[in-house]
Order: sequence, then C-alpha cells, then structure tokens
Amino acid sequence: MTPLLEQFLSEARDFLQGIGEKLMQLEKAPADAELMTELFRFVHTLKGNSGLFDFPEMTRVLHAGEDLMDAVRQGRVAYSQELADRLLDAMDFIGMLCDEIELNGAIGSAYAAESARLGASLRQLISVPGTAVEGVPLAVPSSTEQPIPTPAALPPLETLPEVVRMAAFRLAHEGEPLHWLTYTPEEGCFFSGDDPFFQARQTPGVLWGGVVAREAWPKLLEVDAYRCILDFHLLTTASRADLDEYYRYMPEQIRRVAIPALALVQPQGDPNGGPVYEDFVVEALDTLGRGDNGSLAHAARTMLELSNPDLWLASALRWLLLLLELEPDNHAAQGVVIESLRNLETIDWLAVTAMAPSVEDEPCTAAETRMSPVEMSPEEMSPEEQASLAALVATQRAILGLPIEAAWQMGRVRAVISTLSGCLRACQREDEIAGLEAASAAALDDASAAPLLDWLDRHFSTESVAPAPAAPEHKATEAAPVVVLPAEDTKSAGEGEGDVKFGRRAEDAFSGPKSLKVEQAKIDLLMNLIGEIVVAKNALPYLAGRAETVFGVRELSREIKAQYAVINRIAEEMQDAIMQVRMMPVSFVFQRFPRLVRDISRKLGKEVKLVLEGEETEADKNIIESLGDPLVHIVRNSLDHGFELPEVRRAAGKPSEGTLTIRATQESDRVVIEIQDDGKGIDPEVVKRKAYEKGLIDETTLERLSDQEAVNLVFAAGFSTAEVISDLSGRGVGMDVVRTAIEKVNGAIALDSEKGRGTRIRLSLPLSMAVTNVMIIESDGQIFGLPMDNVVETVRVARTDIRTIKRSMATVLRGRIVPLKSLNKLLGLATPPIANDQDELAVLVVRLGEESVGLLVDDFRETVDIILKPMTGVLAGLGCYSGSALMGDGSVLMVLNVKELM
Amino acid sequence: MAIEFRKNLALFRDVVSVEEAEPLLEWLQKKPAGRVDLADCTHLHAANLQVLMAACASVKAWPKDPFFADWLRAALLRPH
Repeated sequence: MTPLLEQFLSEARDFLQGIGEKLMQLEKAPADAELMTELFRFVHTLKGNSGLFDFPEMTRVLHAGEDLMDAVRQGRVAYSQELADRLLDAMDFIGMLCDEIELNGAIGSAYAAESARLGASLRQLISVPGTAVEGVPLAVPSSTEQPIPTPAALPPLETLPEVVRMAAFRLAHEGEPLHWLTYTPEEGCFFSGDDPFFQARQTPGVLWGGVVAREAWPKLLEVDAYRCILDFHLLTTASRADLDEYYRYMPEQIRRVAIPALALVQPQGDPNGGPVYEDFVVEALDTLGRGDNGSLAHAARTMLELSNPDLWLASALRWLLLLLELEPDNHAAQGVVIESLRNLETIDWLAVTAMAPSVEDEPCTAAETRMSPVEMSPEEMSPEEQASLAALVATQRAILGLPIEAAWQMGRVRAVISTLSGCLRACQREDEIAGLEAASAAALDDASAAPLLDWLDRHFSTESVAPAPAAPEHKATEAAPVVVLPAEDTKSAGEGEGDVKFGRRAEDAFSGPKSLKVEQAKIDLLMNLIGEIVVAKNALPYLAGRAETVFGVRELSREIKAQYAVINRIAEEMQDAIMQVRMMPVSFVFQRFPRLVRDISRKLGKEVKLVLEGEETEADKNIIESLGDPLVHIVRNSLDHGFELPEVRRAAGKPSEGTLTIRATQESDRVVIEIQDDGKGIDPEVVKRKAYEKGLIDETTLERLSDQEAVNLVFAAGFSTAEVISDLSGRGVGMDVVRTAIEKVNGAIALDSEKGRGTRIRLSLPLSMAVTNVMIIESDGQIFGLPMDNVVETVRVARTDIRTIKRSMATVLRGRIVPLKSLNKLLGLATPPIANDQDELAVLVVRLGEESVGLLVDDFRETVDIILKPMTGVLAGLGCYSGSALMGDGSVLMVLNVKELM
Repeated sequence: MAIEFRKNLALFRDVVSVEEAEPLLEWLQKKPAGRVDLADCTHLHAANLQVLMAACASVKAWPKDPFFADWLRAALLRPH
C-alpha cells in the first residue's frame, strides 16, 4: 500500500465521519445553507480524491452523491429524510469499500452492481418530479434495469452462424460458462474518450460479437457520427466474475444472461420448399426410441451426405450428430431436433423443456436443460449466494422440524416465514410469495409447522436449491454439484472463497482507525512534559548526594540512586517514543520534486532525470519541514546553473540526459541529505572573480583562496554567478538563505564541486531538535551551556603560552594558531578569567564555520542532555543566547549561541 | 490520417481513430457509392463503424485479422 493510498484512506474516513455528522445536523436544521455547502464540499473532495485511484465503484457512488448535493445546494431538490437515508447508505458503502481496500488493496468487482444501484438511487432523487425518471426500482439490482425478461426472451441465438454456435456448444460441454452479453454504451460516450467497439472486442472469452443500431438509421445527411447508438451483443465463455471485472466501469450498461448450452442448438438454413422428410423423421424417432445411437448416427450421416449443406435439413442433422456425440443419453433433446425437421421452425427450448420434464433427470446435462425462471433471470446467483440460500433453507427446515409445544413457540414459525419470504424476494421469485403466505396462514391457524414444511418441499426441493444455474462454471472441477449442505459446511465453504459483505451497515462492525490524527500542539505539550520529567529526574542524583553528605545516610542515598536508574530508563524510553511520534519520512519533502524537476527542466529545455533515494529515512517533523524550502532552492539552482543544455552535454561527451540524485541517509543521530548533479560544476575562478567584483572579498583574499574555499563563496550573502536574472534564480538570494535556514535547525551544509563533473551538496541535520547535548562551563561564578556540536576540544593553556598580537590574544595548539577570546569580555563582564593552581587557563576550543576559536573560561563541568527552550518575550532579542534550560537542582542554564557571540 | 480517400475508395490503415469519423461521414455523404477497403485496418473506432453502418457502405476488402473481420461482417452485412 502506497503512502498516498494510506493517506487517502485515513482522510476518507474523516470525511465519512464528517459527512455523517453534517447529515445529522442537517436533520435538525434542514434549511441551513452553510451546512449544506459544507456537506457538498466534503462529498466533492472525497470524490476528487477517490479519482486519484482506480476505484470506479467508489467514485461512481460519490459522483452521484456530489451531483445530488449540488442539486440540493442550488435548491433544485429539497432536502428530505429519504435523501439523508440514501446518502448515509451510500457513505456506509464507501466505508465498507475503504475496509476492503485496506484489507486487500483493491475493490473486488463484486461490488460493481451494488455501487451502480446506490449511484442510481442517489441520482433518482435529482430528477425533477414530473419529468420522465430514468430511475430504477430501488430494490432491484441495476443489471435488471430493463424489465426482467420472461423466460421466452432468450437472446436471438439462431441469428449466430452455426459454426460459432457449434464451437460454443462444445466449449460448454468442456465446462466453460456461456454468457450472452448486451452492452449498451451511453450516447455521449465518444466524448468521454470511450471506444465501445474496442471495449467489446477485448471482452474476455468472446466467441461471437454483433453490432446493431439501437434505432433506425436516419438519412445519411442527418447522421450524427458522434452520438453513439450502437448496441453490442456478445457470446462469451468468460465467467460472471470476469465479465463483471472487465465491465466494472460501466455495470449499468451491460446485461448478461447465462446461456444454457441446449439453447444453442438451432438448425438454420434453406427450408427448401417444406417438410418432406417425414420418412426419415419417423425412422429416426424409432431408432432413438430403441436407444440405438450408432444406427441413428449412421443414418444421419448418410442423409447428410446426400443433402445440400445449406439446407435446414443438413443443419439439423449436423446438430443431431453433435448431440449424439456430446450428449448421447439426452434422447429428449435429440428427439426435439429430429422433430424440428417436420415443421422447420425454430426450436423453442423453453417450451420443450417445460413439456419434457424427463430431460431434467439427465445427470450430466441437468444444469443446462433445467430452465426455471430463476435461471433465466439476468442476475443468476453466484455460488456463494446459492450456498447461502441452501444453508438458509436447510436451517429453516430444521427449525420447522422442532416440535411445537407451547404457544410462544409459534414465534419461531413466524420468524421462519419472514425469512423465507425474504429469500424469495432476494432471488426474485416474488410470484411464489402468495403460495408461501397461504401456507403460512394455514400453519399459524393449525399451530403446526406441517403446511410450511410441505410448501418448502414443493418450492425449495433439494434440486431447485442445488446450485443449478452455476453448475456449468463449476462442472469442470466438481463432478456432481453438491445438494443442500449441512449449515456448518456451507458456511465454511462460503467463507473460504472471499465472501462479500453485502448489506453491511455502519453499526455492524466498528473497526477503529489505525492511525490517529493529533494536533501538533498536543504532541508539543507531551514533549514539554517529558522535558520536565527529565529535569525532575535529574534532581534525584542531587538528592542522593545530599542524603549522603548532609544527612549522612548512605543507605538511603543508594536506594535513591537505584530508584533513579529505573525512572531514568522509563523517562528515556518515553522520550524516544514521543520522538517517534514526531518522526516523518523525508518523502514528504521529496514527493514534490519529480514534478518540480520535470517542469523546470522542460522550461529550460534541459533533459534531467531525477533519482530519489532513501525516501523512507525519518526525522523530526520540524526538521523535515525546515528542509523543504532550502531543498527547492538547491534543486532549482542545480537545474538552472548546474545542468548544461543537451547539445552542450553531448559535445562534452556526457549523456544528453543529466542525472540529479537526491539521497537521504541516516548517520548515527543525524540525517544526511545529498543533492548531486552531473552538470558542469562550479568554476572556482569564475566564483572568485564574481565575488571580487561584488566586493565580497578583497584582492589579497582573491589570491589566497583555495579552490575549495572559492567554491564555498557561493554561500556568501549577495553572491550570484548568473549573468541574467531569470525567474528561477540569479537574484543573489540563494545559497546564503539556504545556509541560514539549515543552520537555524542546527544543520550543516557542505559543498564540493568539480568543474565539468558536477556538484554535490551535503546537508547534515539533527534527527530531532528536542534534546540538545550541551557542555557546561563556568565563568565569573556563573554557569553557561554550549552546544556540544560546537565544541572541538577542552584544553588547559599555560598563561605563558598566550601571545598577544596587537590587541588580540592567540596561542599555538599542535602547530596551529588559535585566536583566543575571553568569554567574560564577550559577555561584557569585567572580571578576568581565573587560572588554576598551575597558572593555566581553561580554553574551550569551539568551531566557528571553518575556523576554530578558543574561549577563555574559568572551568569546565560535565555535559548534559537538556530540553532547550528558545528565549521568549523581552529576552528573545538577546542574540547571544540560543535558549535556556532547567537544571536538575532547579537552576536555570543559559545556553550560549557561539556564532552570535563572536 | 489513417483513412486515405481516393476517387471512389476509402483506404483504412492501422487504427482508425475517432477523429476520422467526421471526414468519413462527409466523404460518404458526397459519394454514396463509395467503397471501403479495410484490408490493412486493425481497428476502427466505434464512431467510424457507426458511420459505415449508417451509410450501408459496401466493403471492397475485409480486414486480414479474421476475428476483426467477423465482427465487421456481423455488423455490416446485416440488413438494416
């Protein structure tokens, strides 16, 4: 799961929550336009976000919701209870999809129908009352928008070429499911970039496809080429699930019907004057009656050789032979084909099978030949649904089987009745409800379950409950379809193959969000509190010391120390944990670069490939946020000044496409970010000259500067090498701003560049700003802190080794001259530094940019971890302090800002 | 252009996109007797198909891809 998707899911849940709340508020104040606008905005944003991903089911419902809310907002539709219900329903569905995505990373195609239904139910509310409603009966799945076809409405299979049908017939016998698919694209679909013909051609398992116009063609001069009035008909061997998946973006535009294999058996051709084959028919029927397949096949083959292959007769004989080959025991079907020679009419298999129930006994073909209304309904039941139905019916049977001894037990019967009528509705057998009601009335009157059991036996016989319609799909794997399973078994089977949680509502299962959204202020508060604990805990060693020295209780002192160790451990872990909360991956900054680099390089006519590495490296939120602008500056600089134009690069023997690498790594407690390009690099001579021209350096420095030092001049304020000021860079505010921003968060920046080979900028930042390691020093009777990052070393220098050059002091340390400054003097204190017994002065060598400076102090103390609090209020103006911290004994430690001090 | 219009023949090549439907319709309106050659065509957008169906255009050559040809035959050889 990508971070983007995770973010979407977390946001989506927030939005759903918000939508729910707003709807509740609207119920109290339906006329509140502001609430309505807010609600619209929620739905609108959520829809927009969902469009980023491939979730058509989700987007479709949200889109309908958005349109509806828009209509309400503009006053075209009034807010109503009904509207709120449907919207809430839809949002429950979206929530369910979110769960599904979280679980599986995608939405199963099984949700498409539900999604279309919800979308339609929302849209139905938009249509202005009075005008024709394209609406849909709510309780019916979308695929049955058209009236449920009567069993007689089999697709016009006889129009298909015989070869195709025979091939399909064979495939059906090999266990392939057959579906007849009608695909009715929208009239305006060409404008949304669809090519329905392509869509239809690419349908999985397509055996045959036809295209027909929905209406009569107008005169050629009036034809509108861009109004789609084509319907596509397809015969396919794809399973229901595959078709749903393939057409998941347009479930409302397709209608699929499972085709019983026998329906394909239709002779066609030239009738040649009428039925004249009476002799053959009588003889063939006779042979058939004796079950002599061999002779029948022989006779048919002979007859076939004698007749013109284009004749109806020949076609019928070919079918007969095929039936004899594939369904040798299905004499009824063979008989029907032979009979058709008499009247030369299209075989009405529905009528035939209704009249010939014996066909149903054929074990192998039972599935295809039984054509109950259930089977012919366009939405045939999935195996899961059938298993559930079977389990339900079995359970009802078991309940009815229980003896009824007391009047209250009739409640059980009533429950069974409502369950059964629900089942009938669900499988679109509404016409049987009347029968059920009659049986129910009888049962309630008699106070016995018998009438209902009778009814069950008649209507949910084991056969009709068996997964008849789906059998073709499964025949290949399971020889005999399982009939009414014990409830437990079916349940586990259903669970086994990804059960779809239809009809789940918000209150059914509450899965709490896995991530919390917390205001930063709360985390900051936690941070402060843990800081105080650290300080309070640091008071314990003092206390232990006092117990021993002042009160002389060594035992107690030891116990306090032991206790301190425990508290110390917990506090440290807690600090770590809070720090973790604030950690963010650098990808939050990096993610904007692909676009930025693409846009800028396009604009400049350069070819640049961006490589991002180590995006998952984490650092404190503040650090990450402070990185954003400097990085953008650096990348822009690199694109503008670093990379050459493609032709220049080629001339220099480099690939025309430059590579910009941004790499983040963690090095102990610092995060290091490298920005590297393979451009032209920085020419130290040019930099020196420019710096001299701008008065940043004087002539002597110009001569003295090493190349590396020269390159680093780009960090000087006001420096720019660009000849022309572009809208990208060249105004002289660039690298120095970058440096300042990085240094503000205790970071360091280093640049090295090789002319012609490229430039590398290295940013090193602390992982977290929360805890600062400082060294405590003493001067003029006060204590001060100095960040350890600045400290190079502590030395004692004999007073005699200190030379005074002009008015400033210096000493030689390991062959290098180190200028010395008295801290007291810097702080405006008059007292001179105090030397120790050997007349040595304490020198704290600190790093100041590239140089080292020695600070004369009175004495060194320990280093401590402190929570540095920036100076606030009036004190904020004191630049020489970077902040203050509380010490364990309650005293305040002022932390010096070395750079400002100098 | 994926359609080359000759005197009385429109030659379809490769994939004929949705933009070609308009010129095709105009051409067929001007030349009701015009014929189409689909031999080198691998796919045509539904809009083009619709135009061909509306004009009952007569086909000089069917596509080489047999499945594609079957689709077109089923669509164009049917009486409208």
